[in-house]
Amino acid sequence: MTGITTASLQAAAPRLAAAAKAAEGELNTLDGQLGDGDLGITVATGWQEVAGEAATMPDDVGMAFLAAAKAFQRVSSSSYGTLTATALMAAAKRTKGRTEVPWSEAPGLVAAARDAMMERGKGALGDKSVLDILDAVAKAIEGMDEPAAMLAAATAATDATLAGFRDRPNRLGRARMFAEKSVGMDDPGMRAFQRLLAGLAAT
Amino acid sequence: MKKILNDPASYVDEMLDGLVAAHPEVYARPMPRVIARAGGATPGKVGIVTGGGSGHLPVFTGYVGKGLLDASAIGNVFASPSAEQMADSMRLAHGGAGVLRLYGNYGGDVMNFDMAGETVELEDDIRSTTVLLADDVASAPPAEAAKRRGVAGMVYAFKIAGARAEEMADLDAVTATAQKAADACRSIGMALTPCTVPQAGKPTFEIGEDEMEMGMGIHGEPGIWRDKLRPADAITDEMLDRLLADMPLKKGDRASILVNSLGATPPEELYIMYRRARARLADLGVEIVMPLVGRYATSMEMTGATVTLCKLDSELERLLKAPCHCAFWTVG
Repeated sequence: MTGITTASLQAAAPRLAAAAKAAEGELNTLDGQLGDGDLGITVATGWQEVAGEAATMPDDVGMAFLAAAKAFQRVSSSSYGTLTATALMAAAKRTKGRTEVPWSEAPGLVAAARDAMMERGKGALGDKSVLDILDAVAKAIEGMDEPAAMLAAATAATDATLAGFRDRPNRLGRARMFAEKSVGMDDPGMRAFQRLLAGLAAT
Repeated sequence: MKKILNDPASYVDEMLDGLVAAHPEVYARPMPRVIARAGGATPGKVGIVTGGGSGHLPVFTGYVGKGLLDASAIGNVFASPSAEQMADSMRLAHGGAGVLRLYGNYGGDVMNFDMAGETVELEDDIRSTTVLLADDVASAPPAEAAKRRGVAGMVYAFKIAGARAEEMADLDAVTATAQKAADACRSIGMALTPCTVPQAGKPTFEIGEDEMEMGMGIHGEPGIWRDKLRPADAITDEMLDRLLADMPLKKGDRASILVNSLGATPPEELYIMYRRARARLADLGVEIVMPLVGRYATSMEMTGATVTLCKLDSELERLLKAPCHCAFWTVG
């Protein structure tokens, strides 16, 4: 069976863009309770730009990830945009120079994205952010090499992490100013990840 | 808002148009938001890039020139350039010997410059390093010095690192010297009136007619205290005391001092401050080398001043005195 190729990214990009567009209003509303309420727009615009770039992505998987990172960053220079681009860039570094990357490397790519975002955004595990989801996903798919099973495991890990953190306060970014209020609410960035992943899983 | 402009949205681009038109022998504008040296990158020389928001001329872009920087990425007023613009500036500065990113410690700039570094490493195999300027002692206590913002001290770092690169030193050596220069600088600012960001249309802060704020940042970030305006000597004394508390100087030490206008404060008042600062340092037995008094790092029309001390060893002094040329500063 084939691994991750540029064709995989080209197939994923429009699905992510569609999922982001569908979740735009929901994410704006959720984000609006903790900040300026533009997360939905940021996520939707970013993935739309990546999808628009998909056709011209090079065969080198690393360079394709890099093209996605640059596209996202170009239309969204907010910290969310930069951190998404950082995650894609971390994957680019590990896959540069290859036209096919075994699926067994996917957990390592997720972990690398988690670490790079943690470094750049100065966040920590337990802060109630997408970092907690990436950490759970990387662990859930460790040792797997079959994409459908990985997606199912990632979805279960994402849902469980969201539920586990719902009643805890935000301790990262702007949302930490609303730590009290954030108890009982999903973190907007974590919810965005859940919606994007669901977009990939939808048949 | 009372400013000479056509449209707030074209403020930065029209400024760059004029800058390059006035000094074509110094600056080139190969891309809308990148200024490079007129002659392009120097083969075999380490490239030095900087970048940041507009509104601080001569910082950042003005210091592109021989013996100084190779390229600068330019953001909107007080806003970070994009990672893509920074990556472009790095490609244009690269003469085959790698690139040093030398800029102020501001969150958005750091994220974007780190991204730019990763991009050019992946796409162009350009090796690069970073030195952050964090000289504003009022922005964080000594225990958290790494969180400090970069202000006028960056002028010394540009000059000294630029001279080291001009000697054809390699990337590690230029980086080490730049870090040494950055570590040798301490700055503090004070402000009397705010400035207005063209696209915002209103002043960055409000302050009473008879008040001053000590320790204010170059974008109007809150300082240490706000009170009635004091005499020049008292202001200068407090600024020097705060700098010296952070970086003690003793008899026989050599240092350069920069008394800088934030924009609207005239040279007359800077010289009144310099006169006092010189006397204070003379009392300590500190030898002043190449004092700088003028408009080196501004906040558009803000009224106020910054004072920077740069403690010199023989290498830093040699490099500070080496020739350089840009539209705003010529040495030698």
